[in-house]
Amino acid sequence: MARLEIESEVTGNVWKLEVQAGTRVDAGDVLMMIESMKMEIPVEAPEAGTVSELRVAEEDAVEEDQVIAILET
Amino acid sequence: MSWEEEVREIHRRRRLAKQQGGKEGVAKQHARGRLTIRERIDGVLDPGTFQEQGQATAIPDYDDNDKLLGFVPANYVVGFGRVEGRRVVVGGEDFTLKGGSPNAAGLRKSVYAEHLAVQYKVPLVRSLEGGGGSVKGGGGRRGGTVGEPVYSAHRFRIIADAMGEVPVVSMAAGAVAGFPAGRLVASHFSVMTRHTAQVMIGGPALVERALGVSLTKDELGGAHIHAKSGIIDNVAEDEYDMFGQVRRFLSYLPGNVHERAPRTDCHDDPERMEEALLTAIPRDSNAPFDMREIVAMIMDRDSFFELAPGYGPSQIAGLARLDGQPVGVLANDNRVYAGAMTAEAGQKYRRFVEMCDTFHLPIVNFVDQPGFMIGPEAERNGTIRYGMAAVAAAAQATIPWAAIQVHKGFGVATAAHYAPDNYVLAWPSVESGALPLEGGVAVAFHREIAAAEDPDAKRRELEDRLRSARSPYPRAESFAVHELIDPRETRPVLCRWIDWIQPRLDELKGPTRFPMRP
Repeated sequence: MARLEIESEVTGNVWKLEVQAGTRVDAGDVLMMIESMKMEIPVEAPEAGTVSELRVAEEDAVEEDQVIAILET
Repeated sequence: MSWEEEVREIHRRRRLAKQQGGKEGVAKQHARGRLTIRERIDGVLDPGTFQEQGQATAIPDYDDNDKLLGFVPANYVVGFGRVEGRRVVVGGEDFTLKGGSPNAAGLRKSVYAEHLAVQYKVPLVRSLEGGGGSVKGGGGRRGGTVGEPVYSAHRFRIIADAMGEVPVVSMAAGAVAGFPAGRLVASHFSVMTRHTAQVMIGGPALVERALGVSLTKDELGGAHIHAKSGIIDNVAEDEYDMFGQVRRFLSYLPGNVHERAPRTDCHDDPERMEEALLTAIPRDSNAPFDMREIVAMIMDRDSFFELAPGYGPSQIAGLARLDGQPVGVLANDNRVYAGAMTAEAGQKYRRFVEMCDTFHLPIVNFVDQPGFMIGPEAERNGTIRYGMAAVAAAAQATIPWAAIQVHKGFGVATAAHYAPDNYVLAWPSVESGALPLEGGVAVAFHREIAAAEDPDAKRRELEDRLRSARSPYPRAESFAVHELIDPRETRPVLCRWIDWIQPRLDELKGPTRFPMRP
């Protein structure tokens, strides 16, 4: 079991969460959408696993490189 | 009488030189997971092509009868070789001797590498490992001389001049600090290994002494730091991957600025039209799309080699081929700040344009530019200065330049995407102007919006009205673009342009007014 820290690539706002803590995901599944500079950026799971922690809520502001979720693979 | 004895001695000394730091030194290097300089040279060159220069250079130790007692080879190895059959100069520090810090004989050879490449007009490949000068070697003796004479040539001039004359490529395959780190960045392409290299101005001991901060070499200058800082362009998984990347980079470039980049046979149909390009740009302008997929569909198959993907990531830059002709590719990544030009993206852009101009590589530019990055961080980073440097580099570029307006083109930053020798194509998905509609309406109609009963509804109504009036045709009608095209036609149209610019590429050979600087 590896623990992957999912980081936001950009500064922006969490527009929509697509998963909850405990959701099982495949590689490429969208975890959440972040809005930045009017673009809706999907944050995808890099590997298959279980979302063990969501560190942000909808409408939260996030910064570049901020850890936004933890994925157990 | 013959000279057999001396000839035997010459061969013995050549063998001694190849012992490097001895069995122990070599074993230690391997135990660190790193190759020796001679293994690196063999790895990057075509097999058996290395012709060393100064094989007998060493620090000898003689007895009173001039008999050779000991022989410490110069710890810098340099010579000629070939990459894909084309000549190069390759050189690097021998870390198995004195930690790569130059011994007297090594220093003489290391400063020669740039001269050799410029003199013979061939690319320079540097392997870098070591910390540069050591205070142990300094300190003037009483009555001796210190420093360089005031009239001596500037020691670093050749480092800068080489970048306007021949391709310069640097590999960091161990700890690289001090002057070697300076040489690393004075390159057209630099690459470091992910796990076995670090790049620092000053190492952990210096940092702790100066700042009281205790950090490891990796924390200071590992690949995770410098892929983002822009100090290196690319990260390699191991040394063999690094050699492959160096060879690939050189394949797109000429041997020097007086030659043309080698056009290769193309096995990909220049008339190929990809159906997927018709739907590549979403009609919803806030929905992201994959710009790299678009680039890959249009360039010769598998020819796109991305540079510095981790640095200024809103701007994509790389080398590719179109009908066999090497070209520079610039494109915006809308998934990072909508592709906006940040301070880092601006610096990446300027250096890339200068490199293409230096080596007369035509540029193909996929434009999706929402403008300079805005906000408090962008202001702190001095974004507008680096952005304008990118605009200036494009405005003064001499190379043929094709711009494909695929999506957005807003504000002054968009000027960086066009050059004097322009060929401008537009896709029907193009949107352009001074400001994107969303922000632009709020600024231009602020009185009207503020006076409305429901300001939000008024703003939306104005945005919708302007959006519906937006059309790709007026720009074509006004000859503001050469051609409005079906996105699927992009490859055939660009390949025909490649044929038209061949005489111009011949004419451009020679030094440029503004070569690339570190």
